Amino acid sequence: MFKKASIFLLLAAGLGFSSCSKDPLSDLSTEESLVYVTNHDQSANYTQYKTFSIVDSVLVVENDRSGTALTDIDRSLLQRIITNMQALGYKYVSPKSKPDVGINAAWVTNTYLNVASNPYSSYYGGYWGGGYGYGYGYPSYYSYYETSESYWLISMVDFKNPNTVDKTFNVVWDAQIRGSGIGDSQYIEKMVDSIFGQSGYLKIN
Amino acid sequence: MKRTLVIIALCLAGVLKTYAQDAPKLYTLPSAYERYTHYLATVRFMGAAPLGSFSDSYISKSSFQNASVSLEWVLRNSPISIGGEIGSTYFKERIPRAIYTNGDETISAVQTRTLSQVPIEIFGNYHFLGKNSTVQPYVQVSGGVSIVDYTLYYGSLSDQRQKAAPKYGIGLGSKFLFKKDGSFGVDVRVKYDGTAFKYDYIDKGVSSVNGSIGVFYRWW
Repeated sequence: MFKKASIFLLLAAGLGFSSCSKDPLSDLSTEESLVYVTNHDQSANYTQYKTFSIVDSVLVVENDRSGTALTDIDRSLLQRIITNMQALGYKYVSPKSKPDVGINAAWVTNTYLNVASNPYSSYYGGYWGGGYGYGYGYPSYYSYYETSESYWLISMVDFKNPNTVDKTFNVVWDAQIRGSGIGDSQYIEKMVDSIFGQSGYLKIN
Repeated sequence: MKRTLVIIALCLAGVLKTYAQDAPKLYTLPSAYERYTHYLATVRFMGAAPLGSFSDSYISKSSFQNASVSLEWVLRNSPISIGGEIGSTYFKERIPRAIYTNGDETISAVQTRTLSQVPIEIFGNYHFLGKNSTVQPYVQVSGGVSIVDYTLYYGSLSDQRQKAAPKYGIGLGSKFLFKKDGSFGVDVRVKYDGTAFKYDYIDKGVSSVNGSIGVFYRWW
């Protein structure tokens, strides 16, 4: 009897310990939550590019649907990209005058549908006493919840060397900005400066 | 009626007489903690410091968010006790914004490195002094499994790995009874813990040394 009780006590204590979960990010500031991910084509030689152009609005991609938008925050993002590209030595030209590279900016939102099953068991039927010798048969109940995640995706497309075989342009550089402050205009300049700042190989001057 | 009373009185007198004769003998016997296998429960709070490659490559910051409970059977006529212990340990370290490269990819982020464990162990203690000594130093070996949760955050994004991994420990400690033959006391222990867990930054397992202070209660 005692042994059973003590094993139960240990188990109960264990459950207690594991259930008090911590939130390690509670002291993380919005600025600290930002993550900048950049990728580049190792074989690309950036010094061959002299001019660039940029899209006139931000592409908004939500799951499979897409459209364009130009809000204040989008405008300041595009403007800051131009400033950074010019600082790296590229010349800003209109899309009509055949730029060497083009810059795309997109706001991507992915929404996921998640399923969780509810842990109903016959235990919950106990209220009714079960005096007839019957248990309770529960069907499997599921609850659905949605999570969505947004990020900025900025990419540099090589117009100078199109892939003539399958008629595509290569993306020679791209950047993702993720985190909780990405829709906040006060961080726009910092975000754009950061993605270019960590891509020193883009510098041509 | 009168007769019944007399019988009761006689019986009582007999009981009292027996009691009076036996009572002094109790004090000549050794303590019950020495005569019987008894139980001992301990609650501990721990401070832990990472060691070795775990400290070098993942988290070097000490942690004070650790606790455990244990229950042991103190065997009679033997300096050994055996028991089980279950606990919770948590390491966390924030790394300021830095740039990490991985092939073509460059990531700039503030890392929050965490490692939490729920160790479930069986242990054996060897005591150097008797069970009623107010100071009872012991050595301990333990082994079991640890439910490890490795979560590395890049900003608010996370990379998580959960696994039940084998673990072991070697400890040195002492129990201090509040009073001779008493039930309550303090337990002080220094223990080395090793967990065989490998993932990403952790390439040679998790090792730490922890110091704990606890309170115990024993009964039989």
